[in-house]
Amino acid sequence: MTTQVKPPPPAIAPVPPPAVVRETRKFTVDEYFRMAEAGILREKERVELIDGEVLIMPPMGHYHIGGVARYARVFISRAGNRYTVLIQSTIRLGAHFAPEPDLVLVKYREDDYYFAHAGPEDVLLVIEVADSSLEQDREVKARRYGQAGIPETWILNLPGDCLERFAEPGPEGYARHDILRRGDTVRLAALPDLELAVDELLPPADAAME
Amino acid sequence: MTTQIKPPPPAIAPVPPPAVVRETRKFTVAEYFRMAEVGILREKERVELIDGEVLVMPPMGWPHFWGIMSYTQVFRRFPVHWFCLLIQAPLPLDEHFAPEPDLALLKFREDNYWGLRPQPEDALLIIEVADSSLAHDREVKARRYGQAGIPETWILNLPGDCLERFTEPGPEGYARHHILRRGDTVSLAALPDLELAVDELLPPANAATE
Repeated sequence: MTTQVKPPPPAIAPVPPPAVVRETRKFTVDEYFRMAEAGILREKERVELIDGEVLIMPPMGHYHIGGVARYARVFISRAGNRYTVLIQSTIRLGAHFAPEPDLVLVKYREDDYYFAHAGPEDVLLVIEVADSSLEQDREVKARRYGQAGIPETWILNLPGDCLERFAEPGPEGYARHDILRRGDTVRLAALPDLELAVDELLPPADAAME
Repeated sequence: MTTQIKPPPPAIAPVPPPAVVRETRKFTVAEYFRMAEVGILREKERVELIDGEVLVMPPMGWPHFWGIMSYTQVFRRFPVHWFCLLIQAPLPLDEHFAPEPDLALLKFREDNYWGLRPQPEDALLIIEVADSSLAHDREVKARRYGQAGIPETWILNLPGDCLERFTEPGPEGYARHHILRRGDTVSLAALPDLELAVDELLPPANAATE
């Protein structure tokens, strides 16, 4: 039997990926929007682009829907022409990041962002309602929102019955993370005259008894 | 300092950390080809669709190119009307699977499949040249080729200096897996007159001394 001596690999040879793992092709936001234009992604599909991957958004439970409805009511009733509320809409936050947050408060624009997707510079606040998605919202999305320079992100933590507030965005994500509970008030740095009772932002306290 | 303990590599696919995992949107072959049509995927991009995911094909080293070239030479000497030879072209095999095998022998058609894509039932043999890609070729691709009903798959196992032959396709993949070595001969069930010495299908035995 001949022993096969393998020639030394050339200098620039790529390091082979370990075992079976293969990298997926990452898509840019432009490519992602093209997929929608070309009909590859249907308009009603619940997907978002995170780190270049088209991810399916899990179906929403009624807690999630209730949370979104409540925040929509709270913020739309106070909006006037101070800001625009985007509900479960795609925003464009980076070359490979086009999430669909539950709610986004963006700078007021008369055209309601008719002509272009809102970008990071437009966003005042991102809100995610977290039921089963808590970990993903906190560890992946809140971090990415901070890296994209979104001034504030709130997570309605339904299992924990509290509001998590992330502020002071930077390249590593948010530097501050506060937990707000019933009885607290919360204010948005970008809209200082908007003060809200946390009780109004959590589900009814006696919900379980109903 | 925290000691990082690396888990042993799992047999097939790495189980990603639970918590934060989200499902990617799986693409169909039709959507995948549409991506190429509308320019989302560029013509020269080395990708393939496996289980609905667009995967980047790792850059090929010289041994890989060598394998494709040698096999092309070997098969070229058989009569033209025995088969068509497909070289590194996408071959749609089911709704979410359009791999790009290194070589495929297809049923002979005088028009070389002009105007229509080859279907799984047109394939007589698929050949993959495996250098660093061995585990992926064997555990993912050969299995899928069997499930797609491709009668035979050969893997040129360069690190192992042997030819791996998979036959008897079925819903679980191939039922038979033979290792062929120097001195053996190999034939193709679909083309019984085609017989080859395995030596011809492996790199020169004295390659290292040249």
